[in-house]
Amino acid sequence: MGDKVQKQIKIVVAGPYAAGKTQFINTVSEIQTVKTEARTTKADEKEVKSHTTVAMDFGKITIDDEHVLYLFGTPGQSRFDFMWDILGKGMLGLVVLVDSTDPSTFHEARKIINFFESRYPAPFVVGCNKQDLEGAWDPEDIRTALDLDEDVKVLPLVALDKESVKNVLLTLLEEIAKYI
Amino acid sequence: MAIAGNLEVFNFIDIFQILRKDKKDGILVVENENRKFAVYFKEGNILYIREVAKVFYIYLDVDFDQVLEKEGISKEDLYRVLVAKLPLLLAVKKGKFSFTPGFIRYPADIEPIIPIEKIIMYLSRQLSQDEVERKISDLNLVFEKNKDWRILAEKAHLTDTEKKILDYIDGNRTVKQIMEEAKVKQLTLERALYGFLATGIISRKKKVKRKVGFNLTKNLLRKIVERIKGL
Repeated sequence: MGDKVQKQIKIVVAGPYAAGKTQFINTVSEIQTVKTEARTTKADEKEVKSHTTVAMDFGKITIDDEHVLYLFGTPGQSRFDFMWDILGKGMLGLVVLVDSTDPSTFHEARKIINFFESRYPAPFVVGCNKQDLEGAWDPEDIRTALDLDEDVKVLPLVALDKESVKNVLLTLLEEIAKYI
Repeated sequence: MAIAGNLEVFNFIDIFQILRKDKKDGILVVENENRKFAVYFKEGNILYIREVAKVFYIYLDVDFDQVLEKEGISKEDLYRVLVAKLPLLLAVKKGKFSFTPGFIRYPADIEPIIPIEKIIMYLSRQLSQDEVERKISDLNLVFEKNKDWRILAEKAHLTDTEKKILDYIDGNRTVKQIMEEAKVKQLTLERALYGFLATGIISRKKKVKRKVGFNLTKNLLRKIVERIKGL
C-alpha cells in the first residue's frame, strides 16, 4: 500500500504590507512557516522591516489522515498582486489583516478586499492586528474606514497570541458554515 | 482607542466618515508646522473650529460655553465664525490628526448648523485620481442605495450631476455601466461615488452568495473546528 495523498484545504491570509500575516500563520502552524522572503529594497519599507514576503508564506495544520489545512500568506506589496490571483483560486475562505496602528494602510486593505470580492467571493473576516499596541484603532472604526457592512466580522487581533489567532480562524469557519 | 494618523494618507473625508457614522462627540485636533486647529464635533457634525497656539490649550476647557467665552463669540455668531474658519481648516492637506472622544460638555441648546454630509460632498469634488482609487479601485464594483439615502442626499446638497449619478445606482449597474449610461467623466463619477460612500448614501452591494472553493462537508468542517480549538 502506498502512502495516502492528503487533500489540501486552503485558507488565504491577505493584507497590506507589515500587517502581520507571516506572524499570524507562524503562531498556529505546526511546522516552521515556509517563507519566501527577500530583503526590502524601498527606503520607507526598510524602516518597517528588513525582509518581506515576495511569493507566499505557508503554514500547515493537519486535520486528519486525509486532510491538511494550509494557511497561505499573500505578499503585502501590491507589486506582487499577481500572487493574489494564484492563491485565491480554490480557497475555503479569506482572512484580511490590517495593522490597527497604521491608518495609511487601510485603503490598501480595502483594495485587497475589492480584488478578492470581485474574483473569488469566498467567506472572509477582517483581523485588526496589533490591538495590544498604543495608537491602535478600534475595530469598529476600522470597519467604517474600510466601508464594511455590519454583517462582515471585524475582529480584534494580536497575531502573536495563539488564542487571538484561533478566534479569527474559528470565526471564519463559522462564516464558512453558512455557505455549506 | 485612537483615531489618529496623517492627513496625507487619510484625508478629511475619511475622518469625517468615521465621526459621522457613530455620531461621535469630541475634539479633532489637526496640526502641522504652521497651524493647530481644534474641531469640535457634536453627534458627528462640526460645531466649531478653534485655532490655538499650543495643542494643550484645547484641553484646558471642558465646557463649550467656556470655549466660546475665551474666543469672545456668542452662540448666535457660531455659524458665521464656522463658515469663515472652515476653508482654513479644509485647506490643510499635510499634518497630523487625532480625535479625542467625549471630553467636551456641550450645552443642550447648541446644535450643529452645517451637515457634515454637505462638507464631505464638497471635499469629494476636489479629490485627485489617486485619492478616489482608494475606495473606487475597480470599475466592476456595484453599489446600492442605503435605507436613509433620500435624507442623507438632501443634507449633502448634491449637484445636478451627482443627482443624475445617484439615479443610476440600483444595485445592478457597475461603475463602468453608470459611466457609459450617465455619460459622465470617470473622475467625476468616482468622486461622487467616494462622497456617496462616505456620507452613507450608498454602500457596496452585499454578496448574497459566497463560494467556498472546496467540496467541504459539515463533518469535515466540524473536524477542522475541533482541530483549531485544540491547537
